[in-house]
Amino acid sequence: MALLSESTKTQVLGRNPAAAPSAWQAWRYRLKVALREPTTLIGVLTALLFTYLIVVPIISIVLDAVRVQFGHERRLGKDVGDLTLYYLDRAFFSPVASDLFWRPLFNTLTVALGAISLSLVIGTVLAWLISRTDMFGRRWFATALIVPYMLPAWTFALAWTTLFKNRTVGGQPGWFEAIGLTPPDWVAYGRFPITIILALHYTPFVILLFGSALRRFDSQLEDSARILGARRYQVAVQIILPLMRPALLSSMVLIFAKCLGEFGVPYVLGLPVKFEVLSTSLFRSIASRQTGVAGVVAASIMLIGIVTLMIDARLVREARRFVTIGSKGSMNRQSRLGSMRLPATGFAALIFVLSVGLPLLTLALSTVMKMPARFTLDNFTLDYWIGTDLHTVALQTGILLSPELWAAAKNTMMIVGLASLTSGILGLLVGYVVIRTPVRALSVYLRQVTFLPYLVPGIAFAAAYLSLFAVPRGPMPALYGTVTILILALIADQMPYASRAGISAMTQLGKDPEEAAQIAGAGWFRRMISIVIPIQKGSLVTGVLLPFISGIKGLSLFVILAVPSTDVLTTYSLRLVDYHYTQAANAVVLIIAGIAYFGTLLAQKLTRTNLAEGLGS
Amino acid sequence: MPTINLRGAQKNYGVNSANAVSDLDLEIRDGEFMCLLGPSGCGKTTTLRMIAGLENLSGGEIRVGDRVIDSVAEGIFVPPEKREMGLVFQSYALWPHLTIERNTDFGLRLRKLPKAEREARVESVMQALDIAKYRDRYPSQLSGGQQQRVALARMLAVNPGVLLLDEPLSNLDARLRLEMRAELKRLHKEFKTTIVFVTHDQWEAMTLATTIAVMNEGTLQQMGTPNDIYDRPANRFVAEFVGSPPINILSFGKPGVSDIADKAEAYFEACYPKLRGIGSIGMRPEAMGYATKLEDVPQGSFFSEMTVTGVLPTGGSWILELRSENHTLFLTTHALPRVDNGERVFFHVPPEALHVFDAEGQRIVEADTLLRSNTYN
Repeated sequence: MALLSESTKTQVLGRNPAAAPSAWQAWRYRLKVALREPTTLIGVLTALLFTYLIVVPIISIVLDAVRVQFGHERRLGKDVGDLTLYYLDRAFFSPVASDLFWRPLFNTLTVALGAISLSLVIGTVLAWLISRTDMFGRRWFATALIVPYMLPAWTFALAWTTLFKNRTVGGQPGWFEAIGLTPPDWVAYGRFPITIILALHYTPFVILLFGSALRRFDSQLEDSARILGARRYQVAVQIILPLMRPALLSSMVLIFAKCLGEFGVPYVLGLPVKFEVLSTSLFRSIASRQTGVAGVVAASIMLIGIVTLMIDARLVREARRFVTIGSKGSMNRQSRLGSMRLPATGFAALIFVLSVGLPLLTLALSTVMKMPARFTLDNFTLDYWIGTDLHTVALQTGILLSPELWAAAKNTMMIVGLASLTSGILGLLVGYVVIRTPVRALSVYLRQVTFLPYLVPGIAFAAAYLSLFAVPRGPMPALYGTVTILILALIADQMPYASRAGISAMTQLGKDPEEAAQIAGAGWFRRMISIVIPIQKGSLVTGVLLPFISGIKGLSLFVILAVPSTDVLTTYSLRLVDYHYTQAANAVVLIIAGIAYFGTLLAQKLTRTNLAEGLGS
Repeated sequence: MPTINLRGAQKNYGVNSANAVSDLDLEIRDGEFMCLLGPSGCGKTTTLRMIAGLENLSGGEIRVGDRVIDSVAEGIFVPPEKREMGLVFQSYALWPHLTIERNTDFGLRLRKLPKAEREARVESVMQALDIAKYRDRYPSQLSGGQQQRVALARMLAVNPGVLLLDEPLSNLDARLRLEMRAELKRLHKEFKTTIVFVTHDQWEAMTLATTIAVMNEGTLQQMGTPNDIYDRPANRFVAEFVGSPPINILSFGKPGVSDIADKAEAYFEACYPKLRGIGSIGMRPEAMGYATKLEDVPQGSFFSEMTVTGVLPTGGSWILELRSENHTLFLTTHALPRVDNGERVFFHVPPEALHVFDAEGQRIVEADTLLRSNTYN
């Protein structure tokens, strides 16, 4: 043995492995390490897939904006596909530009700013009451006041029309109109109701983000100021508020980004008075086959969205400077409200009634009443739910007996279910690759490309899909009107949440359990099956369930990509709204709201997480 | 397991970042209990993970016996699952979804051993580590010390050629840590496994290791027995890192900066004129004595008069803080000091307890023989 090791030693010395390896050797070694396991291969394949599903559609719609579209060759004297500035000119500078872009932009901005201000005022007060005072029923309100966010926003829009609709629009009158009080147009439609509804819908954002910042706030910081002689209001203005600024700014930016892509509410409430925001303007351009202009508007929405979220990312980075490492001082302090205790509780209760109780009650009542606002016993009926042989032009049965509802429900389950399942699994895979691959560039690319749809409001993304897949390209047949395009678009749209969930799950898991298995002798597939997947079961369930819920209440993707044969619950109810089948539409919306609400509860229960954490993503 | 040999091993995590480990030569012999010791960020954990195959190399190679298991130049990389090593993580990394028994059993199942043999081995190793009574529990139901035992049992069950331990005791409280140290030493005897142990705790290294490798900033500073490291530190870094309270250093060649250093320079010039190129000398606090009268100072030792400015009891021993005009020293004594703050005393060090370093901080080895041989003149 001694001899042998001696001889090896000289041999080793002779070759001198310590000398720096040549570039080729180093590269060969790294490649070998990278290809040893399927991680890199899976990474490359998913990167290609998401390039096709996310990057290419976005490029395609941006190109649509600057290329001659079908039907305009004659007018522009160019061939289809040639470069042109015509659509940019039309959207930004022509006489119709104000209708196509500038007025909708102004409306979007003002509605968003109104909604932000209102929800900030209501949200900060509520967040403070919930997390730092002795208000009655704090815990109950902490959950109850988040409910509006779990429901689709246009649930409230429908409730609003049910109450305030006036004779400007045909169909069944609103309750106030029915009892002889005609609401003016500005109350019934347009800017005012849209702003109110969006504010109420996004107030939970402020409650969650601001509330969690308040709870994390170290009350020792407060105490130090008090000991040095600061009064209560001085503490609030000089210590607490400056430290809360990042959370406030962040919730403002998030609400703005959400308002930008909001379609259902302005569609239901804006249309009757021709109140257009960017998303409805985009919808109109697509519906009237103005592909080039649609490209311009969609690209503008994307640009605004991207800029907004970059600002948010910057704010978040700055906010890190304010992170006060949680010490024993955090969270416990409660202010005594004293004589204000009852009024404060009343305020919280009022907001709950306005943002959840009243709208849902209105919708529910409207589905069992023949004539609006007549509260006599003979006016109540279950016909709209389970009636048969009704004397109407279409929909002669109650909604629960209508085959269209079940077809739409089946479509929803299949389309949203399949997409969520796929994106949940892809999300976990992406998370795995991002955390584990030795190829850094791949990790960075995957992380960013799967996050891209988050920056693009759903309606613009749907437009991008339409632009890419409406016609056959290469081996891909035309997909418009198929279930496939909906599933693909949904998968791409859900990837930001799915991949974030996957990445954070894998980060939390850390390398150790897997490396321990590796040391014990387990190869890649064995580790996946015995270690990674069993441990990540919970996050896989959330990774599927949460996108499923948001997919079920989602409207903007479907409204552009779905056709009657691929109706899902949301588009079906919108179609019913268009036909003025108020009761049936409201019933469908209630069904959706129910699924979304109970699904969210289920997801929270299953994973013992809290919506607040999901919101940050 | 045959000798593990790292030759010129290198690791950097990015093109522009400094080497986490550079040009490391390390030999781990069969049956050895080796400690990789160093401050945090010195590359010791990276070294351990390179041996396990969890980090790939940026240069150099690793051999087991005469078999190359990792080499950049030859393009060889044996994956961790094929290296037949055991690794206990700092976080223990128990699989939360498996019971203690299944955790212990995992590696054996992969090796497709017959059921009876598997059960026997799991049983014996669980008995050895005293965790058999928790077999049906899940990791989250165990305390830190128990989890630690499971992590050890899981690796010992497959009887690995070498057991790698990454600061396994750092998450335990003081008493438990002491118990586990004894346990590890017992296991090393019982299983006769080669053990490589990473720690930043010098006492842990001293009490456990047969060989200590001291690392700093990615390079190996010294490798030797615990006594070597403590008695003959190869350079100033090792001298200052090992020992508590830390060694007293006197830097030469800067007259006026420290009166004690100036005195030491004069002492060396007078007694050891042949010694040239001294950059600094070190005196371990526990090698120093003190006397209240000049006639009690031993012949030939280096001494100086200083003022007592602090008497710090540490339970069983005392640390004296001594000050002169512009220098502060610490010395340790095991007898109750009969001096008070403000009193003048003479500290003294025998020449053989002086550590002599050159201007680069490397130990001047010739000085050792000289200082030892020279009888008090």
